Amino acid sequence: MQGVDARGSDAVVSIASLSKRFPNGTVAVDNVSFDVPSGQVLGLLGLSGSGKSTLMRLVNGLHRPTSGHVKVLGTTVDECSPRELREMRRDIGFIFQQFGLVGRMTCIENVLVGALGRLRGPRLGVRSYPKNLRRQALERLDRVGLLPQAFQRADTLSGGQMQRVAIARSLMQEPKVLLADEPVASLDPESSVQVLDLISQIAREDGMTVICSLHQVELAIGRTDRLIGLRDGRVVLDRLTAGADQESIMRLYRRSGAAEGTPDPARQFA
Amino acid sequence: MTNVDRAVQLAPRLDRQVVLKVLFVGGLLSSFVWGWTHLDMSILGFFKDLGNVGNLLKRMYPPDFSETGRIVESMAETVWMALLGTVGAVVLSYPLAIGAAANTTPHRAVRGVCRSVISLSRAVPELILAAIFVTAFAPGPFPGVLALALHSIGMIGRLFADAIETAVEPPREAVISVGSSRRQMIRSAIIPQALPSMIATALFRFEINLRGSAVLGLVGAGGIGLVISESLETIQYKPALAAVAVLFVVILAIELASSAVRRSLIGEAANLVLQSQHQSLFSRFMVRRDSERIRRAETTRAISPPWTSDRLFRVGAATLALALVAVALFSVDIAWLSALRNIDEIGIVLGQMVPPSFVGERNLVVSGLLESVAISIVSTTLGVVVALPLGVLMARNVNLRRWLATVSRVVVLALRGLPELIIAVIFVAAMGLGPVPGTLALSVTVAVFAAKLFADTMEEVSPAPREAVVSVGASRPQEFVASLIPQFVSPFIAHLFYLLDVFFRSSTVLGIVGGGGIGYLLIQSIRVFEYQLTSMIILGVFAIVLVLEWLGVAVKRLYR
Repeated sequence: MQGVDARGSDAVVSIASLSKRFPNGTVAVDNVSFDVPSGQVLGLLGLSGSGKSTLMRLVNGLHRPTSGHVKVLGTTVDECSPRELREMRRDIGFIFQQFGLVGRMTCIENVLVGALGRLRGPRLGVRSYPKNLRRQALERLDRVGLLPQAFQRADTLSGGQMQRVAIARSLMQEPKVLLADEPVASLDPESSVQVLDLISQIAREDGMTVICSLHQVELAIGRTDRLIGLRDGRVVLDRLTAGADQESIMRLYRRSGAAEGTPDPARQFA
Repeated sequence: MTNVDRAVQLAPRLDRQVVLKVLFVGGLLSSFVWGWTHLDMSILGFFKDLGNVGNLLKRMYPPDFSETGRIVESMAETVWMALLGTVGAVVLSYPLAIGAAANTTPHRAVRGVCRSVISLSRAVPELILAAIFVTAFAPGPFPGVLALALHSIGMIGRLFADAIETAVEPPREAVISVGSSRRQMIRSAIIPQALPSMIATALFRFEINLRGSAVLGLVGAGGIGLVISESLETIQYKPALAAVAVLFVVILAIELASSAVRRSLIGEAANLVLQSQHQSLFSRFMVRRDSERIRRAETTRAISPPWTSDRLFRVGAATLALALVAVALFSVDIAWLSALRNIDEIGIVLGQMVPPSFVGERNLVVSGLLESVAISIVSTTLGVVVALPLGVLMARNVNLRRWLATVSRVVVLALRGLPELIIAVIFVAAMGLGPVPGTLALSVTVAVFAAKLFADTMEEVSPAPREAVVSVGASRPQEFVASLIPQFVSPFIAHLFYLLDVFFRSSTVLGIVGGGGIGYLLIQSIRVFEYQLTSMIILGVFAIVLVLEWLGVAVKRLYR
């Protein structure tokens, strides 16, 4: 493994011997440690079931770890009270594979939901949000190229558009960290490229720290700074993206796969 | 100037939809005000009435259990009648629902016919059907079973068709694409999606029919209703309370069993965040046992699914249901062959019903129907206002204090054990004859009936958007309002019209026990064999049901 944790001191996300075991006995994350420095765009690679989603959910506290620690922006997630957890989540954007939009609500309402962490009390309907937030929501929609659709219902959009609305919702949080859990797994190749380009462009413009899980190596190359590969909940690859090509990454997978005598997962990345 | 400045429009424009929605809400409110004044209700009188009911309940207590043998026997008859009625309705509803659902119907004309048959059977209250069948055959359980079966088609057929229509499209296309027939497609793509909801519907209807069959005795169709009505007529309130108590316990037990089955069908909400992490020792044992079974099936390459706790439970429940139906068929005192041979008696009565005629009672019919409409609007509104917070309390994915959800669920289920006519009898005994006791009694039923409906719907709301809202750092009330309420609006509107529909029908039989509305005239017309008037009144009821249904379709489209 190549060392990339040199800048560990200014780590935004810091994961230390983290494990998660579900009640049915599955160990989804197994003793994982790594630091993500500020502004880094990290691609998290792995097949489905390798523990990527669970790891992401542990980072923003949607799951609680069985052992180990997660520290985000100086807050230790696994020791937070519910209130602290909410406060921390305000600074972490989360993009879901299934978008997580309420289909009956308009795009702008779905985007405004991203501001809830900053507001007191429940809100329903566009008019219940302050004007400056509404303007902000429109700006976010403009940034993802969906301003004309602002007052259209979310369930009238295509998959790629829905994911862009979800990105706009995260932007509404003005997040310092963005977690994207398989953001393109339910999209066609063209929208996939669009959505990923949008994420990496925003990350560079805003200096955001990003962890983005993917199962296609070729999509990660050119859009990420660093790659971490997971298999069976363990880290089997950790290197900078610069200079990496599909071949070399698959070789790494093959080597670690052969060592453990399991079937070769790298072949499935092709 | 940015794009946003150019396109600035911080709120949606006022369009036709918004205007129509405002009109709908306004209409809803004004119809409530109309009903309230039409029935001469007052808030002061409301509290006085509550006091009167309290006094009567004091006189009924303690229950007198001296005739337990008779009570248990008639209770058993009630349960078997309800079971057979529901099974009969399911058998009749299945083909009707296939014909009535847009995605499975062979032809648009068939769809119209099936929809009409389903609606028609809803228009005639089971109690009225039973009264007619009792005069056509003889007093006893058979007219009751027949009435329950025919009337239940209205709800079961409609909900089956809804379940079929909500099945998603891709599997249907996938199954068609392999070259299957239409029937194969329905079996493999549609029914598997609709089945959990269909079984839940059948169970739900069985619970309703249990309460329905409990009052069939009021018109001579057997079951525990006869015991209760006899005791009440002779002012023996204490034995009546004993019979009501038995009814209570039995309904509660069946309700708990059926909701357990329902939950295993729908599957626990896969939302790990919003669910409490607590697990009992037993469930942890079962989970471990199941994963072991699954692993063994994998390694041995078993060609049939492993006997996990889920499968054991499902197969067990199905076997139990079949066994119960068999027992019911043999233990109800019906000579099935001769009863079915005499089924043409219905035809004779039907013949006497045409042509429908007012026989000079036009004004009575119109004012009775208007009163029924007022009763149903007021009681539905009052009931829903109580039911909404109650539903939130009961929904396990909203109210994370699971014990509180369970307790409120049990309380509501217990209250549901009282059939509305029994409540109406008590309220009429306490406040005197008239539409107000009828309305209040119906409100109680609406409240508990709707609370369960709302809670079940909330539990079925998709967890994905909720998780997304939690992940932005929203508090629980914020999450509830921003992601649950928007998902709840459209089913709520559907439920509202369903409730109006159900309880308008209920309001048409309140008159049998002196609770106001068209019911008094209706039952009198049957008792004096004035069947032409009976059919005229039923037509009037049907016309109102149709109007409600049409309104419902229009408003549901508005809130889609």
